[in-house]
Amino acid sequence: MKVTFKDVTLSYDGKKDTLKHLNFQIPDGTLVSLLGPSGGGKTTTLNLISGLLPATSGHIYFGDEDVTKKDALARKVGMVFQNYSLYPHLTVRDNIAFPLKMQKVKKAERYKRAEELAKLVHVDDQLDKKPGGLSGGQQQRVAIARALAKSPSLLLLDEPLSNLDARLRIEMRQEIRRIQQETGVTTIFVTHDQDEALHISDNIMVLAQGTIQQFSTPTVLYERPANLFVAKFIGEPVINTLPADALKADLVSSVPASILAQAKTAGIRSEAIVPFDNGQEMVAKIHAGLKQARKYGREATANLAYNGETLLSTEMAGLPASQTDGDFFLTKAGFFLFDEKGALIFGGDAHDE
Amino acid sequence: MAKKISRVLLYLIVALGALTMLIPFLWMISTSLKSGPETIKVPPVWIPQVLRWHNYVEAFHAAPFLRYFVNSVIVTVVTTVGQLLTSILAAFAFARLRFWGKNFLFMIFLGTMMIPGEMLIIPNFVTLSKMSLVNTYGALILPWLASFFTVFTLRQTFQSTPDQIYYAAKMDGASDWKYLWTVLVPMSKSTITAVTVLEVIGSWNSFMWPLIVTNSEKMRTLPVGLQAFTTDAGTQYQLLMAASTFVIIPMVIVYMFLQKYIIAGISKAGLKG
Ligand SMILES: Nc1ncnc2c1ncn2[C@@H]1O[C@H](COP(=O)(O)OP(=O)(O)O)[C@@H](O)[C@H]1O
Ligand SMILES: [Mg+2]
Repeated sequence: MKVTFKDVTLSYDGKKDTLKHLNFQIPDGTLVSLLGPSGGGKTTTLNLISGLLPATSGHIYFGDEDVTKKDALARKVGMVFQNYSLYPHLTVRDNIAFPLKMQKVKKAERYKRAEELAKLVHVDDQLDKKPGGLSGGQQQRVAIARALAKSPSLLLLDEPLSNLDARLRIEMRQEIRRIQQETGVTTIFVTHDQDEALHISDNIMVLAQGTIQQFSTPTVLYERPANLFVAKFIGEPVINTLPADALKADLVSSVPASILAQAKTAGIRSEAIVPFDNGQEMVAKIHAGLKQARKYGREATANLAYNGETLLSTEMAGLPASQTDGDFFLTKAGFFLFDEKGALIFGGDAHDE
Repeated sequence: MAKKISRVLLYLIVALGALTMLIPFLWMISTSLKSGPETIKVPPVWIPQVLRWHNYVEAFHAAPFLRYFVNSVIVTVVTTVGQLLTSILAAFAFARLRFWGKNFLFMIFLGTMMIPGEMLIIPNFVTLSKMSLVNTYGALILPWLASFFTVFTLRQTFQSTPDQIYYAAKMDGASDWKYLWTVLVPMSKSTITAVTVLEVIGSWNSFMWPLIVTNSEKMRTLPVGLQAFTTDAGTQYQLLMAASTFVIIPMVIVYMFLQKYIIAGISKAGLKG
């Protein structure tokens, strides 16, 4: 089901706006991540969608229906909480069947459905256990099955993986993606982990300080960040940033003077600094000192000293170990200039539609 | 080694404690099987010369104990169930609902816990006699249908269940009413069992109030009925003890039955997390 926010604002205390004039549309059948730093308003946004919180102003639509005034009971969305919130006194079977029991579905029928869902999330061998006897990953799966039990047209997950260890997190995010694709349910997934969001989503909404920083596909987010915040938040390792002034002399031939005049900050992805002209479109050739070169398997990284700044590159394979300085190239892909307000003014063109 | 000794010591102390608790009961049973003169013999005898089982038959026929028993059961069951019902609803309101004057009301109720029960006897009696309820089940039951102690205990438990469980239930389509009965109450089983046991025992053993509001034989409860053995001519201890024994037996059975749940509840709470 399509979800639309029209100028939605939320204030907890009537003074400060926690969410400011949100406008967005989540297309039917997609998996969208809400990504942002802690305190950015992700949970608040999710609670507005679920109906646990009423909007202070603005309108929320499910499909074409205005649900702004409806509460959580009436909106009928499925939700998975950060700490799973399973009912400790019920077995896995009864936990999954609980939403159906609330709908007065007959026992045989709801148990049949619970068993189907348990199969879908791979906990069908745990049906008679209580949640206390399950591992974190299993509880997570049960929580997802329970949220899917009433066949919601919308599934909300609030940082569902943050309590799991690293390996399980990767496994579970693939599971969530699989389940979403098998059921086709429109899913909104909250996370503060950019890697998780990049791997799982059709679209990512970056939320910080109560406003949408950017809402687009993972590729666009990475290759054409709308502002400095997004550029820094997305990508591992973190993008190199330096004052544009430090770089201007090397950019005059490739960047129009009018843009250069406004540029405040330059952002260079670590894979955009290469030691050889490899035929890609380049924006600059820079001379830099080479320090701390390291090799990890196939990857070779190095810190470059340039005009008093340090730049990290991950493309340093093939350089002789003895080299102490040299000329390096900056590829156009992965090179950005931002103005005083942090807005993107140069770079990311390859993905202009 | 030191650990072993302290363990033995611990068991000894516990055993001693248990024995001390048991002595009055053993004395009761022993006395219930004695002859009249044996009960007041000095030094006291523990094992009667002849075990007079007939004392039980005599005691049972000395007063309409069957009637008292039925009365006690009715009063205990209705009081306990009624009090639990009102307390669960009130505790939920105080723990979860938002309404005008909630905290003020709660403070007032809390204040009523400071009033000693004895002070309530006369006003309650006057109220009930104005309602013409003296000498009825109504008088025995009505004043005990609300207990703020129970409300308070349950509120604490209800409040300690995570908000997220409540929200999860909401998302699953449970109304407040459904949440209360299908999630919160089962989750609070051990607390509810504990207050139930307290209430059942309190109600069963209650003496003062039934004595005051009943004067007909038909409305008496078991503890009041035990008075039958105390007359102007003195007390027939062997019969009194025989009757006392069969009065407490139902409580012993109830306790043995519920003990399993109480211990299960406590150990579960301890292992959680
Ligand atoms: N119930 C609440 N009452 C008041 N302020 C809140 C409440 N919940 C969250 N906030 C505030 O709203 C902001 C956004 O919080 P939240 O939506 O939980 O962020 P996120 O989920 O992105 O970490 C934070 O500054 C937080 O302190
Ligand atoms: Mg949050």
